[in-house]
Amino acid sequence: MTTTSTAPPPAARGGRAGRPLRRPARRSGAAVTRPGFGWAVPATLFFALFAVLPLVLVAVLSFTDWDGLGAPRFAGLANWRALLHDPTMIRSLWLSVLITVLGVAVQTPLSILLGVWAAGRQRNRAVLSAVFFVPLLLSATAVSVLWRAVLDPNFGVPAQARWLFGDGNLLGMRSGAIGVLVFVGAWQYTPFHTLIYQGAARAIPEVLYQAAQIDGAGTVRQFFHITLPQLRNTMITSMILMVVGGLTTFDTVLILTQGGPGTDTTISAYYMYERAFKSFDFGGGSAIALVLVLVATVISLVVVRVSGYDRMRGSTEGL
Amino acid sequence: MMKRARFSRVAAGGVVLALGLSLAACGGTGSGAGSGRIHVLVYGDATNKVEKQIVATFNRTSKVKAVLDTIPGADYQQKLQTIITTKQAPDVFYNWGAGSIEPFVKAGLLMPLDGFIAKDPGLKSNFLPSVFNTAVIDGKPYGVPMRGTQPVLLFDNKKVLADAGLSEPRTWADLLADVKALKAAGKTPIALGGGDQWPTQMWFEYVYDRVAGPGLFEKALGGDTGVWASADSRRALALLKQLVDAGAFGSSYDSVKFTDGGSPALLATGKAAFELMGSWEYSTEQDADPGFTTSGLGYGPFPTVPDGKGDPHDVVGNTNNFYSVLKKTRYPDAVAQFLKLQYSDAFVKAHLAIGNLPTTTNTPKFLDTAANPAYLKYQFDLVRQAPSFQLSWDQAYPPSATTAIHTAVQEFFDGKTDADGFIKAMQSLPAS
Repeated sequence: MTTTSTAPPPAARGGRAGRPLRRPARRSGAAVTRPGFGWAVPATLFFALFAVLPLVLVAVLSFTDWDGLGAPRFAGLANWRALLHDPTMIRSLWLSVLITVLGVAVQTPLSILLGVWAAGRQRNRAVLSAVFFVPLLLSATAVSVLWRAVLDPNFGVPAQARWLFGDGNLLGMRSGAIGVLVFVGAWQYTPFHTLIYQGAARAIPEVLYQAAQIDGAGTVRQFFHITLPQLRNTMITSMILMVVGGLTTFDTVLILTQGGPGTDTTISAYYMYERAFKSFDFGGGSAIALVLVLVATVISLVVVRVSGYDRMRGSTEGL
Repeated sequence: MMKRARFSRVAAGGVVLALGLSLAACGGTGSGAGSGRIHVLVYGDATNKVEKQIVATFNRTSKVKAVLDTIPGADYQQKLQTIITTKQAPDVFYNWGAGSIEPFVKAGLLMPLDGFIAKDPGLKSNFLPSVFNTAVIDGKPYGVPMRGTQPVLLFDNKKVLADAGLSEPRTWADLLADVKALKAAGKTPIALGGGDQWPTQMWFEYVYDRVAGPGLFEKALGGDTGVWASADSRRALALLKQLVDAGAFGSSYDSVKFTDGGSPALLATGKAAFELMGSWEYSTEQDADPGFTTSGLGYGPFPTVPDGKGDPHDVVGNTNNFYSVLKKTRYPDAVAQFLKLQYSDAFVKAHLAIGNLPTTTNTPKFLDTAANPAYLKYQFDLVRQAPSFQLSWDQAYPPSATTAIHTAVQEFFDGKTDADGFIKAMQSLPAS
């Protein structure tokens, strides 16, 4: 029953040899041909037009000096050089990573527990699951406004619970503001990840648990030795989504803190907006945007690499 | 401090959509040859009622028709800057004068109004000079006042002051004494929406003006950044620090906003005694709590500072909003006729009816017809008698400096930077 955590034989790892059995196309024989490149044309065009082209334009803009009026002036490496010596830029990257890591650390355990619990079959669970799901249906803007009101130091919850919140200056302090951003993010997105885990937990073959029960394993052991390993790929999917979401956090910052107090919550995405659209420095803003793209790509690659997601290793070998 | 800041950032989410709509709405300006239309772009809010009325009046007699386009949402300036070089650019547009139009003037997009004024001197002489001058750049007028003036006043809750046995402070010492007494009574002495940052900036504007007079800021704006390190500047910062350290604003002001009604509620509910705010505080409170506004809302000038060089009658705030004209407008004569309406009797009456205070010389004639004549009269006299009306710092500087000013102001109040840090930040502001 521990086959799940056993690595498949070397021949099956990474290579195509281990996978054909799960490919419907092969299973049904030679009658079905592989889809041609034609199928990918619309998506490729769309991607090129709305992702690659803007990216190239942003890259070009990052070498110019442009305030949105008149023509951009070529500025060489000026924006990039300035960025290297810009303490706010370095801090904003660090902040983005911090908020992302905290987000993953808070949301992952919560959503696994909730998801596994919600995978049960009792009627009340279905109702409660639906209730849990509500935050996801609200826009990030509405959620931010809501929490801003709830956390108001004079008229919100902190005013009623001074023993816990002190003067309630949550958004006026670095640690408090970061904490609120992480909390609000978790409040909104945990339901989504719970949903993913719920689906994955439901897909775990019942026989595994039946066998474990025969072997005398209790609930906790079952959770750690069956459920958790079986959720491995789901966990990676969910964490990649969290990382991408965390690095591009923007609306909550815009509404809850505006990057403040001072520049304490000026994460890279907000800093980019501030430079480009508030200070009308589109060259500088573009350079920040590219740095963000670069960092996000590197982090995503690392996550994929380290987790073995790229190899798409199955978790049900031997069943 | 900007008028646009009265509206919550929530609206920012609608930016893209709104822009798209307004682009669609004014698609004919440049391309439709012989369309016979001028497009007037204004900030979308309750005041549009008046602008619609003025446009309708204009269209009754004019062959060239005016079309009113509104951009809702808090990020007017950003949307304006996006379209102003395109075919969708308006002929006439709303702005805050000074720094808010300086980049456009530098880019050669705006029409100096001397020509219009030469033909109709009333386009200048019918407005209060201190207000009109806000839209004068490099000696040339680029705008005509088109809404109400918004000086910053020290508002108070009369009942809270009376309960504590205090009166409105006239001097800095009064203010400090009031702060002490109010703290002892368990109140937050002064409500401050520090989360928005611009309300914090208002305190700097007044203290700097009272200590050093308007010259210091004018010099700084003109490029003489050395004045930020002057003895006057350091004294102003010391006074501000003294007020913060005395606990005048409590300790959670950066978690409070004006734009979501947080700080006005502190004043209205009597949790705080004062709030320094633009004259729109009156209508804000009236929306939230009409009873409090008529009977409990007090207002007065900013206190004097001992040995201050600034005239105690100086005011700061937004002098007014302005209509500026694009150089490439195809109907300059129609535009000139349209601008004339901004000092008409009908214009003044329409604004007074919704609580705005126009800055035309004929305004006093109609003050008695307003809903709140005492308040408007007080404001009008304040503005008329003011030797200097300092435009909000974040509007006097070009938009590229706004974030840096706000950050510097907030960090100084929070004690994250000292006087040296603040001075350095202000010295490194982009001049244009």
